[in-house]
Amino acid sequence: MRLRLGSALAALALTTTLAACGGANSTSGDEEGGQKGGTLTILTSSTSITLDPANSWNLPVTTLGLLDRRLTNWKVGKSGEAEVVPDLATDTGTPSEDGKTWTYTLKDGIEFSDGTPITAKDVKYAIERTYAPALSEGIGYHRSLLAGSEGYQGPFDGKELDSIETPDDKTIVFHLNAPYGDWPWIVSTTSTAPVPAGKAPADTFGQKPVTSGPYAVESYTAGGDLVLVRNEHWDPKTDETRTAGPDKIVVRQGQDPAVEAQKLIADAPADQKTFGADFVPPAQLAQIQAKPDAKKRLVTSGPGALEYLALNTQSPKLKDVKVRQALNYAIDRKAYIVAAGGPVSADPASTLITPGIAGREDYELYDAGESGDVAKAKSLLASAGVKDLALTLITSNDATDVAKSEAIQQAYAKVGVKVTIKPLEDDAKTTADTGDDAKAYDLSLGSWQPDYPSAAGNIQPLFDSSQIGGGGYNISRYTSAAADGLIKKALAETDKEAAGKLWAQADRTILGDAPVVPLIYTKNSFLHGSKVADFYIGSFPAYPVYPAVTLEP
Amino acid sequence: MIRFLVLRTAGIIGVLLAVTAATYVIFYVFPADPARMACGKPCTPESLAQAREFLGVDQPLWVQYLEFLKGLVAGRTFGEGGGAIACAAPCLGYSVQHHQSVTTLIAQTFPVTVSIAAGAAVLWLLTGVAAGTVSALRRGRLPDRAVMTMAMVGVSMPSYLVGLLAILFFGFTLDVVPVGSYVPLTENPVDWAFHLITPWCVLALLNAAIYARLTRSQLLETLGEDFVRTARAKGLRERTVVVRHALRTALVPVVTVFGLDLGALLGGAVITERVFSMYGLGALLIDAVGHTDLPVITGVTILAAAFVVVANLVVDLAYRALDPRV
Amino acid sequence: MAVLDPHHLQATTGAWRQLRGDRWALMGAALVAGFVLLAALAPLLTALSHTDPYTYDIEALDTAGVPTGMFGGVSGAHWLGVEPQTGRDLFAILAYGARTSLLVGLGATTVSVAVGTVVGIVAGYTGGFADVLLSRFTDLMLAFPSLIFMIALGAIVPSSFPKPLFIVLVIGAFGWPSVARVVRGLTLTLRTRDFVLAARAIGAPTSRILRAEIWPNLASSVTVLATMAVPGAITAEAALSFLGIGVTPPTPSWGRTIANAVSWIQVDPWYLLAPGAALFLLTLGFNMLGDGLRDAYDPRVSGSRG
Repeated sequence: MRLRLGSALAALALTTTLAACGGANSTSGDEEGGQKGGTLTILTSSTSITLDPANSWNLPVTTLGLLDRRLTNWKVGKSGEAEVVPDLATDTGTPSEDGKTWTYTLKDGIEFSDGTPITAKDVKYAIERTYAPALSEGIGYHRSLLAGSEGYQGPFDGKELDSIETPDDKTIVFHLNAPYGDWPWIVSTTSTAPVPAGKAPADTFGQKPVTSGPYAVESYTAGGDLVLVRNEHWDPKTDETRTAGPDKIVVRQGQDPAVEAQKLIADAPADQKTFGADFVPPAQLAQIQAKPDAKKRLVTSGPGALEYLALNTQSPKLKDVKVRQALNYAIDRKAYIVAAGGPVSADPASTLITPGIAGREDYELYDAGESGDVAKAKSLLASAGVKDLALTLITSNDATDVAKSEAIQQAYAKVGVKVTIKPLEDDAKTTADTGDDAKAYDLSLGSWQPDYPSAAGNIQPLFDSSQIGGGGYNISRYTSAAADGLIKKALAETDKEAAGKLWAQADRTILGDAPVVPLIYTKNSFLHGSKVADFYIGSFPAYPVYPAVTLEP
Repeated sequence: MIRFLVLRTAGIIGVLLAVTAATYVIFYVFPADPARMACGKPCTPESLAQAREFLGVDQPLWVQYLEFLKGLVAGRTFGEGGGAIACAAPCLGYSVQHHQSVTTLIAQTFPVTVSIAAGAAVLWLLTGVAAGTVSALRRGRLPDRAVMTMAMVGVSMPSYLVGLLAILFFGFTLDVVPVGSYVPLTENPVDWAFHLITPWCVLALLNAAIYARLTRSQLLETLGEDFVRTARAKGLRERTVVVRHALRTALVPVVTVFGLDLGALLGGAVITERVFSMYGLGALLIDAVGHTDLPVITGVTILAAAFVVVANLVVDLAYRALDPRV
Repeated sequence: MAVLDPHHLQATTGAWRQLRGDRWALMGAALVAGFVLLAALAPLLTALSHTDPYTYDIEALDTAGVPTGMFGGVSGAHWLGVEPQTGRDLFAILAYGARTSLLVGLGATTVSVAVGTVVGIVAGYTGGFADVLLSRFTDLMLAFPSLIFMIALGAIVPSSFPKPLFIVLVIGAFGWPSVARVVRGLTLTLRTRDFVLAARAIGAPTSRILRAEIWPNLASSVTVLATMAVPGAITAEAALSFLGIGVTPPTPSWGRTIANAVSWIQVDPWYLLAPGAALFLLTLGFNMLGDGLRDAYDPRVSGSRG
């Protein structure tokens, strides 16, 4: 009886598939030729997309890069380093002699999706909004750099931030409280994208935002679909970084990464104009090796984010630098790389600054070989007088991170160090990492990709002593006057070459104290359907460039 | 009857208050700071303090709880002045993760959960009761053995494994069902059902097994009772005896369990929604736990608890109406 | 829930006889016994192949992390092959995983049945205000979305607290209300039986009545309830591990292995086979045994499966 029900359902399923396919063929039309038109689907495991730019952490090359323009943008080619280029502004900014004042001029013919022209006031208003408590969740390096911003709470009650001047509709001037050579990168962050001045309330703007990029928001359901359609008021002639190929883009949230990858490997007709925004999981990477058709559609980045094991220098067990160095020698990078998905997903790391960033020097301070130098580690532990070391390792609670942690656990077991893994939900881990309780963990598995391609973004947030606890990402809780001094000097340096040298010096100085074990540079792999074109990853960031993607008919 | 209803309603409100209070206490000691998530990057101690104040988590636990109750009745605002976020009654709170009011989020995700629950429930009730009845009437013979064997296998299978295998087999190997998307009923009823077939069948398969066993045992029990013998003795046709008398009585406990199961399912089918990548209440909730989204957690928990207690009440009322022996 | 009829002790002998004649129940018992043996002998069996569930064997994998060799890397050392990405021995994981499943299954059931029985008897026998209070509390516990609370509690509990014990307690804590409901119902009917009324009439103390009159009549039903609760607890542990909140790695757990193995099914289907089959068979074994026990104690619905 159940059998009959089953076959009836299968029959029903079959007829509806046919119906659905028929429908799809007639709607997804072949009217457009070349590289314009079509509906692109992006699959993602994320379950919420923040559409108010002020609260967004999006990189300029991902979803909000399709929606919002900024003063400057990243030009990420198929090869070569990422460049900062003008977007809404006519150039990447003119600094004053002392490097504390930056002036921008807006282009002509730029409009919001509601048809109103974009003025300097809109840029100022958008940046002022990021100081409101409800809107300060985004990437906000500008917040502490703009002069006189202490205690400022946003523009909603009529107060302005005087360090942003708008002498006319086209000109905008920023006054900083210290010289800052990377400012052109700062005004490319999503949170600085303009919104219509006075018409972007804190509570409702994100539900149906007015945009400045090639797309406008048609609809959004939490955990469901984000549907983007063309913004008729966007003029391609003013925009050198976005090609805006597809007519419509559907971002489908809440996907299981393994199922998502399966779907893209199968490449059924309905999924050919689709790409996955998640990294392809190790199992599917292995699966693809045997499938030349799918292998062609796999795009893998160069070495990207640094994964490292943070050694809590404030933990009594890890106070001794010899113990931390021993842990550096004992690491089994081979096992770790296998757990991370094999050589296709990771390159071994031995430095802090990530490849593709100016100033990086390659060196190896603790030669652990492929699978760890057990003898060296044991002798260091012995000379430190340490026996029966038992450490707690906190890690994100997902299969891959737990597997990586187990690889570390195994490696340290060989030198007699007992590691207890404590998997935490992501936010509980962030709270432990960045909270004030120095006793919450001994080891923490960390991963860091700078928010903009500069060595400052590699070193300062992770190792400056001002970044310990209170929300900072110095999860090794590392304090060193020498390192702090170098960081300060490098930040103020406006000459790119000289700054690079200082950062490289900081890299070595810090690693000499062994506050972390550099593990790997991750290589991210993404899959796309067979009718997706211009899908590539630049040298930085290790993510595909959404605004460049086009569809084949 | 009126006294009964009043008492039960008071009981329901008491239970819900207790559930919310317990949720608050548990997540208050949860070692993740909701303000940390609203703090931006880089996060400074000052911006952290500002986020705490905005979310109201700088207040003592009992003040937060009273604020929550007040918002439920009268609405509330987060923050001050022109940049504040208004949340109209019944305000269950504001989600930092989604930047929406919890009420809106529930309104967006609930249809998904209802769709999964309703279709699956109809399927498993029909198949389960039918199979159980056949089994009881053909007791000891082949159909009975077949149904009971299948039911035994059915209850022993882990639901997530069946679900995942169904996705792989029907979604990829055979490629006959869509995977990982949901179409609202209002948009296209055929597509809606088509996208839901796999979760319905998986959920129904496991529950139908339980219902078949329950129906069978209840029917066998009632068939042996005096009033059925009396009905037979009166010379009524066997069909009338079985359907009108025995089955009706036997189904009372089945309906009871069904009501409770459905009530629990409406609060979110956590594993099913996760396995099938459908963003209903269950997925919203699991997600919220991972993001320390306390308002969403409390909101969905209250709703889920409300469904269970209301289902309890409905079941009690149905029991009174259905059972000829009461 | 089928209504379990209270009996006197004499019924038990008949029940045993019937149980012995019930092929299905015996098969269930054999399955359960098999897994108990596997769990108990895990160290011995893995000593034979010189494996343990923790040691990596990267040599058994290719660079993509996939086991080399037939059937997921089956060899003299690895009887069921190895785990992708780590090369750990699957037989060892299976055998030690049986310990986790049985420990949690039996432990959580003990907790839930003990609490449920006490609450049920007290509510059913004393009646009145205590009954109302306990019954409402039972309803309240049933209304809790338990999975969510398990996740939350799992995050709160300090890492020094043994995780298996925590899982036992938490599954037990959310399992007792359904036991309490049934026991209360049975106690309510027992309370009005002649032998209880007689005992009361001659002035026997309550503790004696509960011990000598009520409990013996509940014992068989409670045994059945317990047997039928075990598979639920085992699947609950597997589900928690599937969601990533079960026992802490690297302690082997079938649920966690299954969760990982599902995404490997196209590359290495053997990875899923053993833990999936084991979980299914152990659950099935307990279900068949529980069914047999129930049939034996409640003959009206029995005898269907020959």
